[in-house]
Amino acid sequence: MADLLAIQGLRTWFHTRAGVARAVNDVSFAIQPGETLALVGESGSGKSVTAYSILRLINEPGRIEAGKILFNGTDLLKLDDKGIRSIRGDRVAMIFQEPLSAFNPVQTVGAQIVEAIRLHRRIGRRAAYHRAMELLEQVGIPSPAKRVHEFPHRLSGGMRQRAMIALALACEPDLLIADEPTTALDVTTQAQILKLLKSLQAENGMGLLLITHDLGVVAETADRAAVMYAGRVVEEGLVATLFTRPFHPYTAGLLASVSIDDLPPGARLPEIPGTVPSLLVMPRGCAFAERCPYAAGTDGCLDHAPAFLPVADDHRVACFRTPPTPRPPLHAEATGEAAGALLPLDAAARVVA
Amino acid sequence: MYPALLKELLRNRSALTGLILLALVMCAATLGHVWFPGDPWDMVGTPMLWPGEDPANPLGTDIMGRDMATGLVSGAKVSLLIGLVSTLISAVVGITFGALGGFYRGWIDAFLMRVTELFQTVPQFVLAVVLVAIFKPSVATATFAIGIVSWPPTARLVRSEFLLLREREFIQAARTLGMGDGRLILTQILPNALPPVIVIAALNIATAIQTEAALSFLGLGDPNVMSWGTIIGNGREQVVDAWYICGLPGIAIVIIVLAFSLLGEGLNDTLNPHLKER
Repeated sequence: MADLLAIQGLRTWFHTRAGVARAVNDVSFAIQPGETLALVGESGSGKSVTAYSILRLINEPGRIEAGKILFNGTDLLKLDDKGIRSIRGDRVAMIFQEPLSAFNPVQTVGAQIVEAIRLHRRIGRRAAYHRAMELLEQVGIPSPAKRVHEFPHRLSGGMRQRAMIALALACEPDLLIADEPTTALDVTTQAQILKLLKSLQAENGMGLLLITHDLGVVAETADRAAVMYAGRVVEEGLVATLFTRPFHPYTAGLLASVSIDDLPPGARLPEIPGTVPSLLVMPRGCAFAERCPYAAGTDGCLDHAPAFLPVADDHRVACFRTPPTPRPPLHAEATGEAAGALLPLDAAARVVA
Repeated sequence: MYPALLKELLRNRSALTGLILLALVMCAATLGHVWFPGDPWDMVGTPMLWPGEDPANPLGTDIMGRDMATGLVSGAKVSLLIGLVSTLISAVVGITFGALGGFYRGWIDAFLMRVTELFQTVPQFVLAVVLVAIFKPSVATATFAIGIVSWPPTARLVRSEFLLLREREFIQAARTLGMGDGRLILTQILPNALPPVIVIAALNIATAIQTEAALSFLGLGDPNVMSWGTIIGNGREQVVDAWYICGLPGIAIVIIVLAFSLLGEGLNDTLNPHLKER
């Protein structure tokens, strides 16, 4: 199948007064039509910058330095202003973490959906309003004929996120980028919104790029996941494989830090020692080397950045240790036990299920 | 939203007082010539009749025997017209400068703000006098001159609003929908920046009316139009013998300026979310 979106060697750097922050550094991944790819990573790992780069919405002092963003075969980075505007909102749409701040406070929800439709379609105001009501109904908003005339602040949080999704779906995009769509919602609403996204995707076959730091959301929603660390994708593969057999020590660490069900009460929660390096002063070698339990014995880790290479079908990793043992013994020193003490294969598998 | 806003405005004491005074002046301006027809320049009676002395000229006559009431009605029309139109000019210029500067920033902003500062450094009234003197004094030139000297505060206000609003997330969201700059400015940012502009515009009308009266007082008004400033200017030599010639149009100016100031203050209370709790 042809890629819906293929990002190749993307570099988005911020030229600040303090130096060049390499927020996105040689990122490559692809999304197939109808597929959900989760972009996972902690704050500042470059997830959102990657997403905004796709729509070329990087503001000064940021700049897309290199790479290709192929959407249905066209390089979005080569389009002129008018060309990229005709992609935004029409073929590629986006939803945000905080729907209240993403709506114009002085326009009704309906007026904003109507405007989004009429930006890209030659259709009358009345027909567009009709379509807006259909959309609101499609995303499960009760009495859409009334809600269409409501101002955003009059809706509840979950309702607002539904309306935001309706706005994004206005032109039936091929790709929907969801930037932490459920982070601001409570857990029950969160589940509803994810279910809604999945069912809409099944209906119209759009690709979904889901940006999140919540591994539970990834397990529930995504087909594949790309794990980002300090501006790079360190591991990419099917969610099922990634969760059961993580190759990269960072992925393994992330999984270990959420699978805490088996810990005895009062035990110290597993963590990855150290902190993320500053984007301004990136180490010469692997960005994770300083925190990695395996880097000490390997000279290469501190001197060269590892290449992003396949280790199996549809599974790529940027680590010198490939192919590593399936269950890398992280936190061995914390517990004083030998390999595999904390990393719970079974726990991870449960998250997937 | 708008009916709710109107309701809140009517509950505000200063806004309500302002609106009532404004309605009175507007009635005088639009319906006044039904009771006081005729040309305000016509000499219709004995000069310097005091108000109430002759029922034919209820508000008296001036030194030339012109009817005061007819003159005041004509002045109301002129004041309102010049106040509103010149404020419209200043709002359009100010919003354009402020919006473009605040939205694009960089050298465009720097250039537009230097121009704004240039206008701010010259005393407003002197500049208005010079502009009217260069062109022929008329209602149109006075309106234009007053509009041209009064836009800088609006430009600065709109610019600061735009600088804040352009960073808000819904602007980024609107960009992701494929909106171009023009649409972002007009449909997304401007409606959100408008409330303080409306307040400043109401106060601007009051200032514009005062400036117009001052220009006419100095003899720089339209020679064919009777405005309040003209009446005061003509009556200034009899101010001891017949104070009402200056006094009546003076009171009229106070009323209309008060009306717009109160309205502006009331709008500020209703539109400014930071003052809502008071």
